[in-house]
Amino acid sequence: MFLKLFIADVKMIFRNRQSFFWALMFPLMFTFIFGFFFGNSSSAGNVAYLDNANNEISQSLRSTMDQSGLFKINDTYSSVDDIKSAVKNSKISAGIVVPKGYGQQFADSSTELKIIYDPGNATTNAVIVGFLDQYSTALNYKISNTKQIFSVVQEKISDKELNYFDFVLVGILGLALMNSSVIGISVSMSRYREDKILKRITTTPLKPWMFITAEVLSRLIVNVIQIVLILSIGIYFFNAHINGSIPILVLLSMIGAVLFQLIGFAIASFAKSTDAAQGMTTAITIPMMFLAGVFFPIDLLPSWLYMFVKYLPLAPLLRMIRGVALESLSPFDNPQNILIVVGWIVVALIISSYKFRLSDE
Amino acid sequence: MVKKVIEIKNLSKTYGKLKAVDDISFYVESGEIFGLLGENGAGKSTTLEMIEGLRKPTSGDIKILGKDIKHNVNFVKTKIGVQLQSTAYYQFLTLKEIIELFCSLYSKCIDPYRLLSLVDLKDKAKSYVGKLSGGQRQRFSIVAALVNDPEIVFLDEPTTGLDPLARRNLWKIIENIKLKGKTIILTTHYMEEAEILCDRIGIMDKGKILALDETNKLIEMAEYPFKISFVSSKHDGSNIKKLTKYGMVENVIGKKNQYILKIKNKSKLDEAVDFVRSIKPNYYTIGKATLEDVFIELTGKTIGDEN
Repeated sequence: MFLKLFIADVKMIFRNRQSFFWALMFPLMFTFIFGFFFGNSSSAGNVAYLDNANNEISQSLRSTMDQSGLFKINDTYSSVDDIKSAVKNSKISAGIVVPKGYGQQFADSSTELKIIYDPGNATTNAVIVGFLDQYSTALNYKISNTKQIFSVVQEKISDKELNYFDFVLVGILGLALMNSSVIGISVSMSRYREDKILKRITTTPLKPWMFITAEVLSRLIVNVIQIVLILSIGIYFFNAHINGSIPILVLLSMIGAVLFQLIGFAIASFAKSTDAAQGMTTAITIPMMFLAGVFFPIDLLPSWLYMFVKYLPLAPLLRMIRGVALESLSPFDNPQNILIVVGWIVVALIISSYKFRLSDE
Repeated sequence: MVKKVIEIKNLSKTYGKLKAVDDISFYVESGEIFGLLGENGAGKSTTLEMIEGLRKPTSGDIKILGKDIKHNVNFVKTKIGVQLQSTAYYQFLTLKEIIELFCSLYSKCIDPYRLLSLVDLKDKAKSYVGKLSGGQRQRFSIVAALVNDPEIVFLDEPTTGLDPLARRNLWKIIENIKLKGKTIILTTHYMEEAEILCDRIGIMDKGKILALDETNKLIEMAEYPFKISFVSSKHDGSNIKKLTKYGMVENVIGKKNQYILKIKNKSKLDEAVDFVRSIKPNYYTIGKATLEDVFIELTGKTIGDEN
């Protein structure tokens, strides 16, 4: 009985091509947009390498840069002017010119590397200058045979490589789960009520909880597809860094999806029509999209507002998923997040089980 | 002895101050088609939905197959098949899949193709409901009420909104269901439909049952069991006045020359026929009272799709 109902629900979700398409398309659009803006950003981009020295040292610099993974070396430019115009036209982000005789220990040989860059591109500049500076220093020590005495030790707050795209990718994941679950359930349940399908179901011996469980489980399949697509596009196209455990990430996402589906049921129990359900859904999801930290860290908000929005259902969920995905933390590292999510699940469950009825009475 | 499959005693349903169903009692016999006839808002659907277990009665008792519905809802649900008023079905399942799905919700099951051929929809088995015409959709919703091979079938306004041909088609289907030995309880606001289909009829108005009997006995209750309809282009007021001694004369609304003479008894009928013939009408017919006449007498109003 249950299996048949579940299979039928799955069939309907996939046959409702338009709504299925948008459940995937909407988050993927965001993934691509943010990916193009901020993805791959740990790399300083394409860097022209004009090697006028062409000796052991210049080649070792080139291969060191290449291996660092920070740059994509482009060897096709043959003059400084070419490089300048290419940087100007943003075809490459910077150019490095190695002077003739670089690295040779002759009094008259040139020792200065030339960096051609666009002052507007501060991140790239910092990366290239820093890299070359360190390389030159190391080279100096090696040639003068001295040992380095003072040095700087860098310590990041997280030893993982992270950037804004990684942050926002998890946000998009949460956004996708929230939108498709809240909208999916609230709209389809209201439509079922309008079409009297719910009432028709009540005339059969089917238990309401079975009906609801089949709905929830079938929709989790859509959520899994969303998670897989968003993560793989983020990772393979835009070099997102997911450091933590993928299974825990998926599990947390599923818990989130169930929470949002329950919110969908709660909306459907108040909405008198499909249109009303749509309106209520928008009123709940749009503010949450901005205030729960999908795109920006919410601790940037004024503290009185932050005190409030950090309890929105999506907010603790994103904190937990980000903790797992970006910093390999355990979701139990901050039990407050779990408490908030569980709290919302209980609230949504109580509202839906008291208010959501298949029949009118 | 007749077997009573449904027994209703002093059933009431109130919403705030509104008495949707007001202390009604009746029973339905096994194998009959029982009709609840009334206008929109008379309480027919509310009554039906209370019997189906979809609404809780404010007071009163409902027994189905001898069992009190309050304590045996699940047993009752396996024994009944329900067609709701203007239901849609799942958009993205084919007819066959919907039937299989509903089948799976019961322990008993009928082959989807056999069911669909009952209502001439076998070749639509792989279509979505959205691709069906209005009549086909109604036929489907009736057959969807038969998936569990129920003993009692509830049909709530099964022909509302259908064209005359589709309606007649549906009547045949309902007759066929009855021939399979099932008890049918239906609501309608079409007099003709109730008269043709139902073995017994309860006439409902404002939550109460005004009259309940076998269909022909109900019609015999009419104050004027006979009538002569005629068309006379001669505007002779005195002749029309003379007719009043045989019965009641009515001018057909909107038709200046058409009259109906309603007559109380057989002896007057013969005299009246002679008189009508003597005024040389363009056309005349002699007929019986219909259920509609009885209905109008009982409720004091006419009936239609709108109130």
